[in-house]
Amino acid sequence: MRYLDLDIKTINEKLKAKEIKPIDLVNEAFERIEKTNLNCFITLNKENAIKKALDLENKEVDNLLFGLPIAIKDNILTKNLKTTAASHILDDFIPIYDATVIKKINEKNMIIIGKTNMDEFAMGSTGETSYFKNTLNPWNKEVIPGGSSSGSASCVAARITPFSLGTDTGGSIRQPASFCGLVGLKPTYGRVSRYGVIAFASSLDQVGPITRNVYENALLLNAISGYDKNDLTSSKEVVPDFTALIGKNIKDLKIAVPNYYMSEVIDSEIRQNVSKIITLLKENGCTVDYIDIDYLEYAIPLYQVIALGEASSNLARYDGVRYGLKIDNYQNIDDLYKNTRTEGFGSEVKRRIMIGSYILSGENAQNYYYKALKVRKAMTDSFKDVLEKYDLIIGPTNTDVAYKLGTKQDDALKSFYDDLLTIPVNMAGLPALSLPIGFKNNLPIGMHIIGNYFEEDKIYQLASFIEKKLNLNTEPKEVE
Amino acid sequence: MKPTIGIEVHVELKSMAKAFSLSKNNFNDEVNSNINVIDLGHPGVLPRVNKGVIDMALKACLALNFKINRLMHFDRKNYFYPDLPKGYQITQQDTPIGYDGYVEVSNKKIYLERMHIEEDTCKSIHTTDTLLNFNRSGVPLIEIVTKPCIESGAEAMEYLEKLRETLLYLGISDVKIEEGSMRCDVNVSVSDSDKLGTKCEVKNIGSISNVGLAIDYEIKRQEELIKKGGKIVPQTRRFDDKTKTTILMRYKETGNDYRYFPEPDIPFIYIDDEWLKNISDNMPVLTDELKNKYVSLGINSNNIKTIIANRNICNFLEEVIEDVNPVIASNLLTGDILSYLNKNIIKIEDTKLTKNNFIKLVNLLDKKTISSKQAKEIINIILEDEKDVLEIVKENNLEQISDDSLILDIVTKVIKNNPDSVKDFKDGKDRAIKYLMGQIMKESKGQINPNLANEALIRELSKY
Repeated sequence: MRYLDLDIKTINEKLKAKEIKPIDLVNEAFERIEKTNLNCFITLNKENAIKKALDLENKEVDNLLFGLPIAIKDNILTKNLKTTAASHILDDFIPIYDATVIKKINEKNMIIIGKTNMDEFAMGSTGETSYFKNTLNPWNKEVIPGGSSSGSASCVAARITPFSLGTDTGGSIRQPASFCGLVGLKPTYGRVSRYGVIAFASSLDQVGPITRNVYENALLLNAISGYDKNDLTSSKEVVPDFTALIGKNIKDLKIAVPNYYMSEVIDSEIRQNVSKIITLLKENGCTVDYIDIDYLEYAIPLYQVIALGEASSNLARYDGVRYGLKIDNYQNIDDLYKNTRTEGFGSEVKRRIMIGSYILSGENAQNYYYKALKVRKAMTDSFKDVLEKYDLIIGPTNTDVAYKLGTKQDDALKSFYDDLLTIPVNMAGLPALSLPIGFKNNLPIGMHIIGNYFEEDKIYQLASFIEKKLNLNTEPKEVE
Repeated sequence: MKPTIGIEVHVELKSMAKAFSLSKNNFNDEVNSNINVIDLGHPGVLPRVNKGVIDMALKACLALNFKINRLMHFDRKNYFYPDLPKGYQITQQDTPIGYDGYVEVSNKKIYLERMHIEEDTCKSIHTTDTLLNFNRSGVPLIEIVTKPCIESGAEAMEYLEKLRETLLYLGISDVKIEEGSMRCDVNVSVSDSDKLGTKCEVKNIGSISNVGLAIDYEIKRQEELIKKGGKIVPQTRRFDDKTKTTILMRYKETGNDYRYFPEPDIPFIYIDDEWLKNISDNMPVLTDELKNKYVSLGINSNNIKTIIANRNICNFLEEVIEDVNPVIASNLLTGDILSYLNKNIIKIEDTKLTKNNFIKLVNLLDKKTISSKQAKEIINIILEDEKDVLEIVKENNLEQISDDSLILDIVTKVIKNNPDSVKDFKDGKDRAIKYLMGQIMKESKGQINPNLANEALIRELSKY
C-alpha cells in the first residue's frame, strides 16, 4: 500500500497529523517512476522536489493540495527547469520565468515531480510526435495514451502522481484522459491564465487539470483559476469553489445530447455506454433531450484553418536567434532560419506550420481564415442557444477507445478525427470534462460533459453523480 | 505631366513604458537594459496593452482631424527578420485607430488616409556580426499615411513641418527626424494622363528638407524617363545626401505576403465616449491657435515663426504673456535670449532666467524706464544670475531719467552753458541740435531718456 493511492482528504489528514511527510509522497512518486516504464516524463525534477519536500516539513499544512506531487506538461514554463514542448528546437531551453499556473501551484505548496511528455508543441493526439519518443498507456502498452497531454495522462493513470496539468487546444486534455480512464477538464476559455504556456493556437489553448477523480479535479481547478493581468484574455469572472456542487442533487438538471454526438461516426459500443448513462440520468430526474447544434460537422476543417493559422505565427519565434536550437552552419540569415527550423521541428509541426502559412497567405486569408471565423461564430451562437435552454450538454468524448500505436502515422488527416467531438468546445470557448464511464476491450471509455461559460461547478456536479453511481475501478492493473 | 505624392510617417511615442510590456521606453539607456521576456519574444509571453499609448494616439487623432475607430483591434504582421523577436509585429491593419483625417497647410488640405498604432523592432547594429539592441523592441509607434494628394516637394515639406509641429505641441513625441523618432518614406509617381502613374518609394529620408529634395529629384527623374519613352518600374530607392539624388535599392517584389490576421492575445478595445471626452478635455493648445493669438497681439510674423519653431521659448512666453507687453517680450525672447541659447547650445529652462525677472524687465522697457541698450545688459546678467532685475537696475544706476523736471533741469543747464550753439540753432544750423543732445547725454551720464530729452530741448530752444 502506498500513501499516494489514498484519497486526497485522507493524505491531508495524515500530513496534518505528521503521520506522513511530503518527502514520503515524493519518494513514492519517484519509486513508481522507476518501476514503471511509460516514458511519461521528459525532465524529472528530483533534486528540487526532494528539497522542496524537506522545506515543507517546517511549514503548516494549510490547504488540501499541500505537499502533494504534481506533474506538469512540458509546454508550461517552469523557471530554471527545462521546458521543451517535446521539440528538438527547445530541447535545452531553460525558462527564466514561471508560468502563472506554476506560481499558483507553488503558492499551494504542491511539489513538481517533473515535466511530462507530449506531442511536439501539443500538435498531435497520440503522443507519437514527441521528439522524445512516444508515451505508453498504462492500460495497455500497445495502444496510444492519447495526446497531446500524453505524459500528463499516463502518469496519473499509472498513479505516479495524483495530479497533473495538461493543455487543451482541440481535445488534448479530454482525449488522453478518456483513453487513460481519468478525469480531465478543459476550463472555460479565460478561466485559467495562459501566461507562460507555450502557445499553439492562442484563441483555443487552455490549461486544465487531469486527475483520478472528479473531486480532486475540482480542487486543482480551484488552485489554478483566476484573472491574470499578464493575460488580457483571462477573465475577471469570480472564481467559485468548484467543489461546492459536488454531491448536490441532480434532479431537475436539463441535459442536451447533440444528435451528431450519437451518430454513425461514433463506435456503437461507445454509444451504448453513453445511452446507459442517459437512462441513468433520466431515472434520477434529469430531463434529457436530443438536439442539433449547427456546423458541428465542420469542426475539423475549422480547426485546421484557425488553429494552424495561429500556430504558424506562434511558432515563428523559434528561429535560432535568441534561444533554443541554432544550427551554426549558415551563410546568411535565411540559411540560419531554414537550417534551424528544418532540423529543429518534427514533420507534424512542419506540416502544420506550412498549412497555417498557406491559409493566411494573400487572398487565402479571406477565403479560409476569415470565413472560418464566421463559421466559428455561428457554431458558438448555436451552442449558446442550446445552453440557454439546457444546463449541460453530454455525449462521448471520442469516437472510440484508444487504438494501436502507429495506426495513424501514415495519414496526416486521420489523427485530426480523434478530436471530432472535442474541437467544437474549444471553438466555442466552453468548459468540458471527460469522465470514465466503462470499458471496451479493457480500455476506458470517456464521456463528455460540456457546460455553459464559467459553469465548471455544474459539470462537476453531474460528473461526480455519475462517478459515484458507476463506482468503476479506474486503476489499470499491473502497471509495473 | 502631373506628379502625385503620398507620405508615410512613423513617429515614436514618448510613453513611460513600451507599447505591450512594462519595460521602460528609453532607447538611450545602456544597451539591452530596458528589456524583459516580452520584448525578447520568449516562449509563453503575452502582450499587455499600455493605455497611455492609446491615449497619445487619440490625442494625435483629434489634432489631425481623424475619425476614430471606436471598436478597434490589433493584428499580427508576420515576417522573419532578426530584429523582430516574435516573428510578427503587433500592428493595426483592419481597424486603424484613426481614418479619414486631414492637415491644413497654407492653401490646401492634406488628406490623411489612416493612423495606426504599432510596435517598433529592435535596433540592429551591423559590425562583423549583427548586434541587436532590444531597448527599442516594443517601443510604441504611430504611423500616419497621407492620401496620394501632395503635388510637390515644397508641399510635402510644408505638410511635414506642420505634422512635426503638431505632434511636438501635443507633447507625445520628440519628433526628431535626425534621431529617428520621426521617419519618412515617400511614394512618388508621375503621370501624363488622368490615371495615376507607377510609384517609386524613397525610404528613410534623414531630414525634412531632404524630403523636398528627394521628391523634386524623383519627379524630374521620372518625367525625363517618361519623355524618353521609358517605363517606370516599381522600386524602392534611397536619398543620397552627398549627390542630392535618389538611388535604386531594390525592385519591389509583387505582393509582399505578411499573412495579417487579428492578434488573438489582445481582446478588442472599445473607446467609449467618456474615454474620448477625457482626451479632448485635456488637449494642449496647438500651433494654429497660438499663431492666431500672436497675430492678434501684434507680434510680427517673423517672431511668430521663430517662437513656434522653438517650443520651449513658446512655453515660456505662454507663461508670462498675461503680465507683459507681448511685442516687447517676443522681441527679447527671439532676439537676445534666443541668440544666447543658440550660442551656448542650451534650452531656456537650463538658464537662470526666472519668469518674474523677465516680467520685470519687459515692464521696465515698456515704461521706457530703461533703454533697449540697458535691457540687453540686464538680460546677459539675469540669464546667468537669479538676482532681481530691480536690484540690478538700482546697483548699476541703470535707471533712465524720464522725470520731466529732472530732464528740464539738465536741458536748461546745457542751453545756458552753450550760447554759441543756441545761436547756431537760431541761424538754422541743424547740427546744433545734435551737438546739444550730445552734451545733454554727457551731462546725464547717458541715463536720460533720449526721446523725452529731445522733445524738451526743442521746446526750450523755441523759447529763444
